[in-house]
Amino acid sequence: MSGNVPKLTFWRTVTAIIFVVGIYAAYLRFFRGWQVTTNLTDAQPWGLWVGFGTLCGVGLSAGGFAIAAAVYLLGMERYRPVLKASVLLSFLGYSTVCIGMLYELGLPWRIWHPMVYWNPHSVLFDVSLCVMCYTSVLTLEFSPSLIEKLPFPRLREFYLHWHHRLTIALVMAGTLLSSMHQSYLGALFLIAKGKVYPLWYSPYLTTMFYLSAIPAGIAMLIIALYLCVRSLNAKIEFAILEDFSRVMALLLGVYGVFRALDLVRNGALPYLFVRRAETLYFWAEIILLVVLPLALLSQSKVRNNPQFLYWTCAIVVMGFMANRLNVSITAVDAMTGANYVPKWPEFALTIAVLTAGVCAFRWAIIYLDIVPKRELLPKIKWVTAPAEA
Amino acid sequence: MGNTKAILVDIKRCVGCQACEQACQEIHHFPKEHPAHLSDVAFTFVEQKNEKFVRRMCLHCEEPACASACLVGALKKSALGPVTYDNKKCMGCRYCMIACPQGVPKYQWSKLAPYVQKCDMCFARISTGGKPACVEACPVEASVFGTREALLNEAWSRIRNDSGYVPRIYGSEEFGGTSVLYLTDVPFEDLGFVKPAIGNQPLPTLSAAALSESPMVVLVGGSMLSALYWITQRRKLVALAEAEEEKHDSGKGKQ
Repeated sequence: MSGNVPKLTFWRTVTAIIFVVGIYAAYLRFFRGWQVTTNLTDAQPWGLWVGFGTLCGVGLSAGGFAIAAAVYLLGMERYRPVLKASVLLSFLGYSTVCIGMLYELGLPWRIWHPMVYWNPHSVLFDVSLCVMCYTSVLTLEFSPSLIEKLPFPRLREFYLHWHHRLTIALVMAGTLLSSMHQSYLGALFLIAKGKVYPLWYSPYLTTMFYLSAIPAGIAMLIIALYLCVRSLNAKIEFAILEDFSRVMALLLGVYGVFRALDLVRNGALPYLFVRRAETLYFWAEIILLVVLPLALLSQSKVRNNPQFLYWTCAIVVMGFMANRLNVSITAVDAMTGANYVPKWPEFALTIAVLTAGVCAFRWAIIYLDIVPKRELLPKIKWVTAPAEA
Repeated sequence: MGNTKAILVDIKRCVGCQACEQACQEIHHFPKEHPAHLSDVAFTFVEQKNEKFVRRMCLHCEEPACASACLVGALKKSALGPVTYDNKKCMGCRYCMIACPQGVPKYQWSKLAPYVQKCDMCFARISTGGKPACVEACPVEASVFGTREALLNEAWSRIRNDSGYVPRIYGSEEFGGTSVLYLTDVPFEDLGFVKPAIGNQPLPTLSAAALSESPMVVLVGGSMLSALYWITQRRKLVALAEAEEEKHDSGKGKQ
């Protein structure tokens, strides 16, 4: 940048349009009401904003706690170079979820109510407390990246000194809180038995949500790190991403096996080939989340190629989104006959908040010390370890 | 539980006059004309099903799924019997609507500050000794009001004295029991009654099973993580000590 007015590039134009449309959608939501903005009904009170914004947003942000636990609790020091980036990604992910609450809730100015009015029998209460606490943990975990840029050396050192001493406690709390609310998001649908299509209802929805969130969070992290290297001049050893992809493949395999056993256990097998739209959605989910990624990752050509790996992770993320949308929308629609299709402002607001998250991520990678940077040698992007190392 | 209030709806007696419906609309200042289903402006309506008239309304479960789901406890099973809604606590998450097996809680989608709407069995009236408006309006006593125990006895005696009745009271045990009870002379299955997903068990037991694990997760998980961290630190220390020793040894070797 030359210090002048930023140039009007293609992506800047797209971003600007997304924000303008998003702001208009927000105006519709807050000043014209639900019926103008959404297609939500009494039969489908949770639509895209909960199914995508909350369930996918939280799930895809699972990478942060997984990597923090790996580095601090399991001593996998080789992942330290990407630790800050994964915490940043999760922090921004949870931030989008919290912002999403502001238009998703009917009375958003009461968002603090769960802190005062407690109902410990409610799964949603546990989820909301966990998410609140974990977002605070993530803010604390991420904060040094901002604090170290402050121009006050005394304050800086004081903060970083204490932060260093508290880190382990934060990581442990984060791991527990994440494990709980990732699975409780699945438990939300337990009480709605009879209103969830049998392909997706299971007493083990908790386990299923937990087991799928971690590989999906890792996939999201690989995508983010890949983009940092491709477009933001980051220096990350590809061996780390390859390692991640192995863990992800293993976890997806475990998830696949559990899911299959669970379907058998719940007697859902007769529903596998019924001529219904739900069957199609189910198979799309299974193929995108389990079958295709495992087939691709079994090829060393895919694992060893950054771009192939990137696209494989994109498939995992799509499969994960399909799963969460199926549980929260397809499965409920099938039983209540709601026939819900989101209205355009629902998409517009979701996309605008996500775009804001992406912009914040990009800004942080460029201006803060999140990942090591390359010297400006645009030809060689990937640092690969010597073949025999 | 014997003293909680309840409503007994006798489908055999109902003549379909809709007086209950009109009384409910009136007392809530809801529009007289409304579509024939429960909504945010209709807490009860009479549905014609297989030449019978079935009055639909909130069943006021003994262990309501909606109240168990409500994260701020805005929905509550009152000691009097009705499931009530405190609109000062509600934050508009709409989880109650997901949880209710009957789809009873409705949302004010047309409002900028929408609340959940549902029947409260005329809580204000019955807590001062009155009857729910719908019951009071019924000209043929197809709906009667009283304590749940008395109404169950009444229902069983009607079944005993008239072989025309199906020998079953819907709500006596369904969903763990409800405070609105139904009697009929044609099978409940033909009248569109919801078959409870887990029989006579209250639905909140399903989420309680998952939540009961959380103290365990915190305890076991917490100690496992601490142990892991301890092992990791220990290995680091050992590796460091070994490296020192090696350095020391190789230093000696050189001398």
